[in-house]
Amino acid sequence: MLGKFAAAALVALAFPAAAHRGIEPPVALEFEPPAAGTYALPPIQAVPGGEVIDTSGRSHAFGDYTRGRITLLGLVYTRCGDPQGCPRATWAFSAVRRLLRDDPGLQGQVRLVTLSFDPVHDDFKTIGAYSQRMGGNRAGAEWHFLTTRSRPSLAPILEGLGQDLRVAVGSNAVPGTEEFTHSLKVFLIDREARVREIYSTGYLMPRMMVNDIRTLALELTRSR
Amino acid sequence: MNFVNTFRGLALGLAAAALVLAPSAAADETCNSPYMANLIKGQEDYVYVWTLGMEGLGDGQDKLVTVDVNPHSKTYGKVVSSASVGERGEAHHMGFTDDRRYLWAGGLSSNKIYVFDVASDPAKPKLTKTIADLGAKSGWLGPHTFYAMPGRMLIGNLSNVKDKGGVTGMAVYNNKGDFVSSVPMPATEGGDGYGYDIAINPSRNALLTSSFAGYKNYMRPLGELIKDGEAMKNFGNTMVMWDLKALKPKQVLAVPGGPLEIRWSLAKGKNWAVTAAALTSKLWLVKPGKDGQWVAKEVATIGDPSKIPLPVDISIRADGKGLWVNTFMDGTTRYFDLTNPEAPKQTYELVTGKQVNMVSQSWDGKRVYVTSSLLANWDKGGADNEQFIRAFTWDGKALKPAFEVDFIKEKLGRAHHMKFGTAKLRPA
Repeated sequence: MLGKFAAAALVALAFPAAAHRGIEPPVALEFEPPAAGTYALPPIQAVPGGEVIDTSGRSHAFGDYTRGRITLLGLVYTRCGDPQGCPRATWAFSAVRRLLRDDPGLQGQVRLVTLSFDPVHDDFKTIGAYSQRMGGNRAGAEWHFLTTRSRPSLAPILEGLGQDLRVAVGSNAVPGTEEFTHSLKVFLIDREARVREIYSTGYLMPRMMVNDIRTLALELTRSR
Repeated sequence: MNFVNTFRGLALGLAAAALVLAPSAAADETCNSPYMANLIKGQEDYVYVWTLGMEGLGDGQDKLVTVDVNPHSKTYGKVVSSASVGERGEAHHMGFTDDRRYLWAGGLSSNKIYVFDVASDPAKPKLTKTIADLGAKSGWLGPHTFYAMPGRMLIGNLSNVKDKGGVTGMAVYNNKGDFVSSVPMPATEGGDGYGYDIAINPSRNALLTSSFAGYKNYMRPLGELIKDGEAMKNFGNTMVMWDLKALKPKQVLAVPGGPLEIRWSLAKGKNWAVTAAALTSKLWLVKPGKDGQWVAKEVATIGDPSKIPLPVDISIRADGKGLWVNTFMDGTTRYFDLTNPEAPKQTYELVTGKQVNMVSQSWDGKRVYVTSSLLANWDKGGADNEQFIRAFTWDGKALKPAFEVDFIKEKLGRAHHMKFGTAKLRPA
């Protein structure tokens, strides 16, 4: 479990502005979670297809980032100012990656993916700069930062995932400057691109998330 | 305590008041799932009332009725829309998806789940999907509690399609309406297999469930039911604490008397829950015990149990320091001081109708709404069969009437479960 100092340091490392926005540390566990592999994570839904672009501006099939490895997918927009929203997801990813560093058995099995749902503002350069602030390719798990070329190319991904997104009431309506409202959701995806768990505010517990990752990893071990 | 014998004795002793063990509702803003976004912490704009159709009244169908409850609106206190579902199937309870875009509403006899879009036009919800495979996919019957989890809905059921008795379970559907999984209620090691409400405390990985009765009982005319000794044995007397992540039962708690609605305290750092046992008219506290175990403890009496007041719905304050309790038989809305959850004290009561079931308070506790119906075959008859939503203001001392809608006069039906709506979805 992360101590207060470790958590605070993690926040500062992962999201420098967080301390000024009143972000609380990731939810600490007040319970002992069930051991990895002792419970099931039934498939909830399939991950949709689509096209995304990386921080170099190259196009990829979305499936390139949702198949073949255990994936944590979080959707954010870099201008998000809600401390309980996007920064919390990004910060949880940092905490998960830190925990994964201590688990050699999971090396090479896990990827983290951050996808912007603001393609107008978050072009590949912007999402690239955001990725640099998140620490680039540190050990623990590869972390990809993606965006899309347009809202029409993003829409089927959001719809398929069930990720709500609205322009906030009273917000500036100019594309790329508006304030969004959305549920915070992080998706745990198995190697076959099936969503196996969804985390939201109040459920975003890095230790539990890593436990779930181990549970999926054990499925592969047991099937061999 | 023998629940069945007690139940029968009290019921027979008060045959004239023989509306017994009433299902109620998880109704108010403070009872919503902790995974739900966009809680309404200011003035609610609408109350959605899941209404059971009455034969010969209006279109006779179950319907979602939208009432404008914003005092600043020109249509304050009026019905602004109604969405019928094409049939009458014992409309009962409902719950929002985690993003509050959709409202899922269940039919206890149709075994269907009706999904309403409440985001596109919050004043005019639209039926967008009907899920009809609950029985085929899970084996369960009587979808009761709809509890949002991230990206999916956990559904507590009352019965099963095989024998329509009280042995049942929970089902999980994703937000698109596709079946995900099901899990039976424990029927061994003290478990009776019965189900009713479900409520989650994420910080403890704790899922708590309660128990009621199956289709064969809840769809039967009550006067007939209470004369059937065998049928009267088929009620639940347990609560179950589950490992939420694993969806596995951890501990069965003996809570006699029909533990129905469950409310966790929302106060930070508090990890207790409260429930009302309908038959025995008792409040029970469920709290952490030693060595990771949980303890269920009777903590208060509601009215005079010998008169079968029948506590049905409860509504907890956002700070966990107060609890509204509706008792159906005497039509009374009661307030309990919960400052010490080990010893709740009733401090106020008011007769709010000839029959009352649901009670819902606003997040700030300043407004309280009451509706009237239990089940089609259990509601009172004749002039006592009032059907309404009544709104009150609460200043900490007295309930003062604000408005009411007569659901008979408006040809709507039996007013049952309530959920609040907002014209402006707040940021997540």
